[in-house]
Amino acid sequence: MTSPLSKTGMAACLIILILCALTPLLQSDYLIDVVTEILIVALFALSLNIIIGYSGNVSFGHAAYFAIGGYVNAILLTTYGWPLLPSAVAGVLAATLTAAIVAYFCTRLTDIYFAMLTLAFSMLVWAIVFKWRSLTNGDDGFTPVHVPAMIDDRTAFFYFTMIVIVVSIAVLWVITHSAFGRSLVAVRENVGRAGFVGIHTRRMRWQAFVIAGFFAGVAGVLFGMYHRGMYVESAFWTQSAQVLIMTLLGGIYSFFGPLIGAAVLFMLERLTNEYTEYWPTVLGVILLAILLFQPDGLVGLGKRIKNKFGGGGSP
Amino acid sequence: MKRILAGAVALAAMGAGSAALAQDIKIGVLYPTSGGGAIYGGPAMVGHNLAVDEINAAGGINGRMLVTVARDSKLNPAAAASAAKEMVTKDGVDVLMGGLSSAVGLAISEVAKQEGIVYLATIPKTIQMTTSKLHPHVFRTSSNTDFEGDAMAQLIKKIGGKKVCDIQLDYAYGHDLADGLKAALKRHAPDVEVVLDLRPKLRATDYNVFITQIMGAGCDVVTSGLWGSHFVDFAQQASPFGLFNNIKAYISGGEVASHEIAGKMGDDYPPNVISNTYELWYHAVSPNHKVFQEKIAEKSGTKETAMWPVLSYTGVKFYAEAVAKSGGTKSEGIIKALEGMTIDTPVGPRTINAADHQANTGQFWGPMVKKDGFSYKVMDPVTYIPAEIK
Amino acid sequence: MLDLIREFSPGLAILLTNPQFAFIQLLNSISQGMNLFIIAAGLSLIFGVLKVINFAHGVFYMFGAYVVHTVFMDWGAPFWVGAIASALALGVIAAIIERTLFRQIYEAEHLMQLLLTFAIVLIMGDLAKVIWGTEQYSVSYPASLKGATDLGITFYPSYRLMLCIIGPLILIALYWFAERTRWGRMTKAATQDREMLAALGINVPLIYTSVFILGSALAGFGGALAAPFSSPVPGMDATLIVECFVIVIVGGLGSLWGTFVGALLYGLVFNFGSVIYPNGQDVFAYLLLLVVLLIRPWGLYGKPEAGGH
Repeated sequence: MTSPLSKTGMAACLIILILCALTPLLQSDYLIDVVTEILIVALFALSLNIIIGYSGNVSFGHAAYFAIGGYVNAILLTTYGWPLLPSAVAGVLAATLTAAIVAYFCTRLTDIYFAMLTLAFSMLVWAIVFKWRSLTNGDDGFTPVHVPAMIDDRTAFFYFTMIVIVVSIAVLWVITHSAFGRSLVAVRENVGRAGFVGIHTRRMRWQAFVIAGFFAGVAGVLFGMYHRGMYVESAFWTQSAQVLIMTLLGGIYSFFGPLIGAAVLFMLERLTNEYTEYWPTVLGVILLAILLFQPDGLVGLGKRIKNKFGGGGSP
Repeated sequence: MKRILAGAVALAAMGAGSAALAQDIKIGVLYPTSGGGAIYGGPAMVGHNLAVDEINAAGGINGRMLVTVARDSKLNPAAAASAAKEMVTKDGVDVLMGGLSSAVGLAISEVAKQEGIVYLATIPKTIQMTTSKLHPHVFRTSSNTDFEGDAMAQLIKKIGGKKVCDIQLDYAYGHDLADGLKAALKRHAPDVEVVLDLRPKLRATDYNVFITQIMGAGCDVVTSGLWGSHFVDFAQQASPFGLFNNIKAYISGGEVASHEIAGKMGDDYPPNVISNTYELWYHAVSPNHKVFQEKIAEKSGTKETAMWPVLSYTGVKFYAEAVAKSGGTKSEGIIKALEGMTIDTPVGPRTINAADHQANTGQFWGPMVKKDGFSYKVMDPVTYIPAEIK
Repeated sequence: MLDLIREFSPGLAILLTNPQFAFIQLLNSISQGMNLFIIAAGLSLIFGVLKVINFAHGVFYMFGAYVVHTVFMDWGAPFWVGAIASALALGVIAAIIERTLFRQIYEAEHLMQLLLTFAIVLIMGDLAKVIWGTEQYSVSYPASLKGATDLGITFYPSYRLMLCIIGPLILIALYWFAERTRWGRMTKAATQDREMLAALGINVPLIYTSVFILGSALAGFGGALAAPFSSPVPGMDATLIVECFVIVIVGGLGSLWGTFVGALLYGLVFNFGSVIYPNGQDVFAYLLLLVVLLIRPWGLYGKPEAGGH
């Protein structure tokens, strides 16, 4: 995980990037919508993995920062008529700031207590969004979101999203592969020993949480503009669980794992919903399968298959 | 990743394929067919299908058949918006129709605006849809919260209520009905005072904390828009407190006078309730209406039918008429045709106002009483209160 | 002065001027709190011994509500038969789940355990839809508790009064089980040193199974008791489980007495909060949680985690 990107890896990334960028050429509004949404949830899942895969804690309330980013941006754009840049920045900052405060309390605890507390904080956010009707429009959802004319077009918004997401993922890559990222892994692997070698574990975990909150906020800002609306469900704990499963499905011990998990799960949900209302069962069975048979997710599965058939290349 | 892209390309091909069958007119409908709203979504689909079948049996519209693409709106605005968008971009529907719950209606309306496609709201009543959030592509064939609030104010005046406790669900419909009622009270009975505003959540089941507050406030009239199972739960929990016996009347929007509620509750239906409905199977206004009721009864397998079919039926009929009149499915033509259009519905003629895209759909109102020959409460006398702000 | 208060909060004004009303709100708080206590006690018990936070506890509660509907409303059996049937049904379901799924993960990371219980939530939630459909049912009060009881200063629904009494009874019963029976002593020992217990020839897995059954039966029973005012409907578990989490965290994970206090506090904060400031209804419970955690990170009666991870 800490090794730099191999040549084949680099090439693969580039190809995927180009393929994504060419989506609008297929002339399908549906496809543009799908890729846009996948990009957004992928960033959301990647951000969560900074907490789980790197610092080793499980947040059950990550949707809160996603929702805060989305709502603050939506409200500033629409109700107060702010231009895009300051409004989006304010949205992301609000998410980051909230994450910083919540993390201050949560990082005092570990494990189960950490998970439960993140959940409770996110539900507080949910309750506030729900009840602050004059600002958020409560249960009805905040619609419409005023999207600036420049990106108020399917293709334009797609490219805008793509640029923001690619830059965000690149930054996340750099962070996780820096000295900071390596010490985070050390924290996860062995809290005691990391403490010995002079890493302030609580502060590291706090920083990881804040970074995750920042990028969840970015994803939320894009989400609100894409849907031209924000809904309270975005902050509900089941949303946090869903993104957690995406992360886990892809594989928490790999950088790109959550991205793959997000894409797969998103498409699966779309397609399942067309045929049956029992998407939760499908999701539950997938989850059981991962937990009982494949704890390192799809990426781990891919690696195992590759090793079995003697495929060389980087591990 | 590669596999996903391959799948995506296949999907795109599917989308292109369906566009080739442009002969049929595709109606995208959104009613809740799973979850708590399914008991309304199911009957709504009965009315919808009846209208579609009738039109197709008569040879379609200018030779084009109606095809229904149905998606589950799940009583959830976010899910409904996604489904609506997908129906437009993937299934290529020509029009959106339906929507149960005001929040869902507003979400679909927003998609209609973005995608430039006409949306006929057949059930949602929030006034915002035809005022602050009105846009050229949205039309409403149901009643709205201003009409409903006005009728409630007239009834409060009629029974001589003085002190009102208002309990409404905490979402668009509840808030707008409360506003509509208050504005109407100023017109009809300015001396009536609303002393308590309570706002339980949509899908709430435990009303204890609200019931005890109403008891403590000492009002002589309780007004509400708690609909469906909200009302059933509220009534059951309020009965031990004697709430319904201690007031002059419980005046309720939200159609709790409809048979699906009264029939379900039987003897548990509380006393002193005055409420509304779009349709009563035991009350026909014309021979035409009687025929319609019989058809619905046949499709539903019971003569004691629900009130939802008439709403979805009317929506399809309006759209079909607009397609015939404009000679196509282009949104601009449909909009022009619908503005000011009058059609005959089973419950009488209905006209869509050109300015605010609202149909003049009124409702039946009356007290719910015990009557010989019925094992549940029925509305008697039945009064049609027309859709107008007096 | 009173006018000023009325301007700010009509509910508070009634509370201050009408002692009868205040008393009713107190009873509302206790009855709601006691119902939640019965459910949350099961969650707390399971955590105390198995160290698993069971997300599926909410779904068990929902099944309890559905089962009482079927037995009491559909089959016409007495309400209490329905409530016992709920407890038994959930005990059986719990036994199956514990034997087939939980067994696999006792040694796994806590994340895995949490997610496994979440998978059960998803699947059982759909299962409920298949069995009972998606309609919202209403469950009547049992005939003997349908009316109101005269308490001297006020009338109060008899059913709710029953909840106020049954909650403490269950607390006492659970204490008696834990302190006075051999099973209780072994359970306690299992939480402290399961290897030692196993070495003594005691069947530790059986203790785990029994605790899981008891905890889940409480969820089913609590769901049955809640059914007359929390009508069985898909999704009713999603908010309840969070309420239970709040209660057990406030009280301190694994502490029975803490859960009792947490549930009472929850009821008080929810009901009086809703009367005084209706707009904050859902916010108050989480604020209570925050305040408690600021003062005591491990809850009112919880013990600090034993060293790091």
